[in-house]
Amino acid sequence: MNNTIVSYLSQFEGHQKFLAVASEFLGFDVTALVGFVIFFTACFILVNVAAAIGGLGTYAERKISADIQMRQGPNRVGPYGLLQFLADGVKMILKEDVVPAQADKFLFNIAPLLALSGVFATLAVLPLSSGFILTDLNIGIFYLLGVGSVVGVAIFVGGYASNSKWSLLGGMRGASQIISYEVPVTMSIISIVLLSGGMSLVTVTESQGGLPHQWFILHNPFTFIGFFVMFIGTLAEANRAPFDLPEAESELVSGYHTEYTGMKFAFFALAEYAEVFVLCGIVSALYLGGYKVPMDLGNGVFFVENLGLPAVIGKNIGQLLQLGAFFTKTFLLYYVVIWIRWTLPRMRVDDLMTLCWKYLTPISLFNLIGCAIWVYFFENQSMWSVIFKAGAAGAGHH
Amino acid sequence: MFENILFFISSFLVLGGATMVVLSKNLMHACIFLLFTLFGVAGLYLTLGADFLAAAQLVVYAGGVVILMLFGIMLTGGTENKENRFGIEKIPGMGSVKTYIVAGVSILFIATVVLKIIANYMRHYQQTDLPEYMTTVERIGHSLLTDHILAFEISSILLLGALIGAAMIARPRKS
Repeated sequence: MNNTIVSYLSQFEGHQKFLAVASEFLGFDVTALVGFVIFFTACFILVNVAAAIGGLGTYAERKISADIQMRQGPNRVGPYGLLQFLADGVKMILKEDVVPAQADKFLFNIAPLLALSGVFATLAVLPLSSGFILTDLNIGIFYLLGVGSVVGVAIFVGGYASNSKWSLLGGMRGASQIISYEVPVTMSIISIVLLSGGMSLVTVTESQGGLPHQWFILHNPFTFIGFFVMFIGTLAEANRAPFDLPEAESELVSGYHTEYTGMKFAFFALAEYAEVFVLCGIVSALYLGGYKVPMDLGNGVFFVENLGLPAVIGKNIGQLLQLGAFFTKTFLLYYVVIWIRWTLPRMRVDDLMTLCWKYLTPISLFNLIGCAIWVYFFENQSMWSVIFKAGAAGAGHH
Repeated sequence: MFENILFFISSFLVLGGATMVVLSKNLMHACIFLLFTLFGVAGLYLTLGADFLAAAQLVVYAGGVVILMLFGIMLTGGTENKENRFGIEKIPGMGSVKTYIVAGVSILFIATVVLKIIANYMRHYQQTDLPEYMTTVERIGHSLLTDHILAFEISSILLLGALIGAAMIARPRKS
């Protein structure tokens, strides 16, 4: 069985004792039932946390844009306007649900669901920490690419079903952009898979260290370029500025969700912000060391051996530190994404395709081959150890 | 227990989606139902323990093929004008008596051949447990680059040909 939150919890004595007592009390083996309940609870919590992060993302977007433009931003609802997104949610629910008369009703209703379910399905492999991961599939990244592409279908279908020219143009732009930018992103991911020797996100994270020079971004020159290619690609995949052509408000009103009102519009917005969070998490797991904590504090051995804490508490403190590391890196990237949106102007649609096919794709191919050569010649050492060894050998000759 | 539930959900998706693909009159709807069918097929692969194949199914079909089909249908206008100006449906009846007879005979022929082939396996088939959960990625990689290297290379040449052909079609013509 692969590594899941259930297998993490079942290593503790308390869990085993609880299983034994409950099995005796109920008269049958409750392992499967308890596993299901744990999975259900964890999924419920994670989906709600992602939705809250998506909601707070809209708040962060307004606050940061206000900062950049020297305005106040939302400051009425709750402390510092923090509850603004809840007020927005209430407003969305109370709006009239308008379906255009000429719209394709079935597709119009199903598109927001597809978008949101595609994003939430990617949460299953998001490595929040070594223990609190829903499931550590050994094809984690591949699964993520496959499920994430449903969002592209949803954007296209939403744009088509609205039966409006603006929506249609937005949907077409969105779909073509997502398909195109999948190529450089996949190439960058493959080069990381090459270095770490596994497609599971935990394997990728574990083959990095806690300190910046052990991360894959500083592993060799090719991955350093690869990080930026991947980050630009994720910006385009999440339809964020400067690539937010599908919803370019100066040309297309609001792009593929022009005709959507109320909660259906909220679903699209939530899917976008949650997708940004997921993609930032993936970039941080692939290139920035993910949940790794410096000095190996994350596995909890330090707390058990040096501070004399019991194993349960020590391990869980380590897990909390890992969660903190992961969320810190992810939210920093999230901040950069919003920062870029309010700094750079929007690109033109042909420039977008030129950037993808003439620049990013060749660069990522070059990176892939470079990483393969690096693995072959330097036996997968990072450039720091190569430099140190060369320096030591040079000193030995003199 | 869990595998049975997964199997029932996936087979329901496959059968229901395929039925709706055939029955729906709107090509766009048929394409979306095809997406559900492909998800169901991925689920069926998962119940057989072929995780890599399931993910490849999602990446290739859900990500690429369905979007391309949607583009194709939309750009060729396959969804509009189901009736001509006399109010008669444009969709012709699929085939005549002749084609039905040919189809029936060929179905019988193919079914006989296929059943003859799998009869040997089915006669000695014993239900066993699923193999221990293990990674299929490495095994696929090994067999692709050792035993099936010829098929691998041929398919890569085929894909290269498709790529060059697409570039040839798409490039602006100098006349």
